[in-house]
Parts: sequence; C-alpha cells; structure tokens
Amino acid sequence: MLLNIFKAIIEFEAFRNAFVAAIVIGIISPLIGSVVVIRRLSNIADTLSHFSLAGVVIGVFISKLINLPFSPIFMGIIFSIGGTFLVEKIRNFYKNYKELSMAIIISLGVSLSGLFISITTGVTTSYTTGLLFGSILSVGKTDLILILFFAISIFIFIGFYYKQIITLCFDETYARISGISVKALQLLITIILALAISIFIELVGVLLISALLIIPVASSILVGKSFKGTIIFAIIISLLSILCGFTVSFYLKLPLGSTIAMANIFVLFIIFLIVKLKNSRYKKKKIKDEITV
Amino acid sequence: MRISVNNLTFAYTQRPVLKNISFNLSSGNFLSVVGKNGTGKSTLIKCLLKIVAVPNNTIFFDDIDINAMKRFYHVGYVPQKLDFAYEFPITVSEFLSCAYLKRKDAFFTALINALDLNPIYRENINNLSGGQLQRVFIARSLLNKPKILILDEPTVSIDNESVAALHNILKDLHSNNVTIILSTHDFDFAKNLTDYYLALNEKGEYQFLPRKDYDNVIEYI
Repeated sequence: MLLNIFKAIIEFEAFRNAFVAAIVIGIISPLIGSVVVIRRLSNIADTLSHFSLAGVVIGVFISKLINLPFSPIFMGIIFSIGGTFLVEKIRNFYKNYKELSMAIIISLGVSLSGLFISITTGVTTSYTTGLLFGSILSVGKTDLILILFFAISIFIFIGFYYKQIITLCFDETYARISGISVKALQLLITIILALAISIFIELVGVLLISALLIIPVASSILVGKSFKGTIIFAIIISLLSILCGFTVSFYLKLPLGSTIAMANIFVLFIIFLIVKLKNSRYKKKKIKDEITV
Repeated sequence: MRISVNNLTFAYTQRPVLKNISFNLSSGNFLSVVGKNGTGKSTLIKCLLKIVAVPNNTIFFDDIDINAMKRFYHVGYVPQKLDFAYEFPITVSEFLSCAYLKRKDAFFTALINALDLNPIYRENINNLSGGQLQRVFIARSLLNKPKILILDEPTVSIDNESVAALHNILKDLHSNNVTIILSTHDFDFAKNLTDYYLALNEKGEYQFLPRKDYDNVIEYI
C-alpha cells in the first residue's frame, strides 16, 4: 500500500512538489512556532492568518480588474505584516483588554474576505475552500522555490541570531540592557511570522495554520527537558504528522490540511494521556512514601 | 560607576508615582530602596533600566545621561522571580550560554563554579527552587562584568539558606566596588551592607538617608 504513495511521489510532479513543500514546512514550522509560543503570540498567528486571507482575496479581486504583476499571495503577505502593526495600534486604545485588538482584526479580516469573495467574479467554491483548508497539490515549482528560499533564510537568521532570539524570548528586559537591538529583532520576528503565515496558507489553509505552527510545540513542551530537545521533538512530531496526514489523505481522499492538523492533535492527545498517567503515578508514589515514613 | 538622579518625576497616569527624586551614589555604594508595596520601588528600577521612558537629564551613569546611552554595557539586572513565569523548557546551561553573547570562556566557567551552579547546570530552569533560580539570575547579571548591579526584590519567595547565600554574594560584589541598588521590603536583609537608604512612602515622598539613620528610615515608612 505504501508503494503506491511512493510511486505517486516519484511519478507525479504535483505530488512530489507537495511532498517536498510539506516536509520543508514541517521542519520550519516548529522553529517559528516555538518563538510564537514563548512570546505568547499564539493568538496573533490566528489573527494574522485571517487578516492575510483578506489580502489574498483582495489580491484576487484586483487581479480580475487589472493584470497584477505578482501572485495574490503577495497581497496576503502585505496584509499579514500590516495586520501586526494594526494589532499593536489598536492595543493602545485599551488598558486592560488588550486582546480585544486581535478579535477586532480577525473580524475585519473575515468580513473583508467575505465581502470581496462575493463581489469578485469567477471565484469558485474550490478556490475558497482551498484558501480556508489548503490545497497543497496546487503548489507549483515557483511556490516550491519560494518555500525553499524562505526555509533557507530562516536557518540563516537563526544561525546568526540564535542567542539573541532566545534571550529576547525569555526576558525582554535583560535583552534590552545587554545591548540586543530589541525593536529590530522583534520587527524581524514579526515579518518572519507574517511571511510564514502567508506562505503556509497554500499548504493547510487559513483555518489550520495555527495547527502547524503551534500544536507540535504545544505537544513537545509537555515532555521536553531542554530547549534544543523540545525543538527537535517538535520537529519530529511535525514531520510525523505530515507523513501520517499525507498517507491518510492519499488513500482516503481527504483534504490534506485537515489530516495533518488531525494527526498533530492526535499526537497532542496521546501526550496529554502520557503526562496524566505519569502525574498520577508520581502522586501515588508520593502518598505511598509519606505513609511509609 | 557613579549614579546621579536629578529631580526624577514619573507617572503612569496623572498621579505621579515618583516625585522629584534626587540622589547621588559614588562608585561602590550600596543603596537599599525601601518602602511598602505600591510606593514606586519597582518603578524606580524600571526608570533606572530605561524600561519606561524617563525625561532627559534626570538619570546619569558616570555623568552620561542614560537617554544618550544606546547600550547598558556595565549594568547587571536581577529580576523578581515572579517576572519569570514560563513553561517552555530551557536548561540552566542553555539559558546562561545564550545570555552570554560571546563564546564560553574561562570567565564563564569560573562564574558557574563561583555560584555553585554545576549541580543544576543541566536542569530545566522551570523546575528550580526560588533560591536556585535566583542564583541563575545573579550569574546572568554578572556575565557582562557589571559596574552597577540592580536587584528587584531578590529575597521574595526564596528560602532562608538562599537569602544568606545571596547576602554573601552581594557582600563580595560590594567589596569589589560594584555599585548596587537593591529594591526590597525586607529592611534587615542588607542592613550591614547598605551605605544609603532611599525610603519611599505612599504619598510619593522620599528620604535619602545614610545607614546610621536606619531608625529614621523605619519610622519614615
């Protein structure tokens, strides 16, 4: 049975592109996701993906009117970056309910998307479903090159700024006084997150981007003991989920984004179970020891 | 390093938390900032570290306005334990080697040994006790060989043994001419090390007094 999937990867370019893209994204997602989790930006990832959707849809709308020299995805990137600044601006209006800014931007993104989908001629249901839940099989060579270029850039960025990123993530005040250019680094991180979200839309869709970025990290922090170990474990979970998602999607003809997200969530629930069992065993042992004493 | 604060006023809203505070410290002085909760101890620390925006010409390190300093090369900072609440695993080794922006060298190793961090070097930082975590923070604050060390309530939620260890570390640094600013509600913790007290009260007023006026400090607060 597995032979069929290997055959498909070797013989069909679209399938091969999709597979390579998924593997590359599976490796870089936990790297970005861990920074997002430590800096407590998980909700921002969701907010930006919804706002980015509006950008893509508006890009499609404009491309129907004039000949756009770039893909609508680039509009998504612009909206994604713009969204981070809008969230920051709106946050300043509230003292105690700062998270409201994200809800406002999500609403704006979804309503703009709905509006422009309805007034754009020739937008098919499969296209919008693709945006929402992903359409990785439509990943072309240019998209694949873009993803590879992005992944290499991430590795170079991490290679150069590993210590600074970790220090900033764990203690912004210390980073500031030890001479790290906090604002510049934060801006770079935000731009990388925005780029990742826009690029990942094609793979898993707007609604499941968080699953790719956050859930492998959410699983590994429950069992990790060191930073490096946690990241490596998150990458393993991410890759396993992608391979499982691919296989299930291939044989059962289910949407790939959903199967990858479900595989991720399945792993998370298994880890919940293991942690729960471990904790209850530890408690029982503790009580037993106390009785013996 | 000398510290000079001139007429520092700071307000989050309309009501100032700090009002016209002025004091001067020479190199190697030990200042204890004391006062009840909400009197502005942490705010003063934030001002000194430029975490909040302070007006020009109010805080000087060695006669240089801190607003003109891009980097605080010679300032060490020990945060409150409560400010560090993470679940993401990171070992003491990873935490400190990342904070040390250079490659590990003899100084780094000597610091780890001096603070007795070897037994917990591979431990997840989130599993440490309050006292152990405090030692890690102190090690981190000393990585850039500070001439000024600022500590925000370092004795909160740590055991007596760790408090005594912290006292000895501060004593060593004090004798090595490091200027120390300690924000604390525990008046007795650094009583024998303190050169000056900055006593803050709930009305936003303050008194800057030498150690010999300890009794007045207690009375003022």
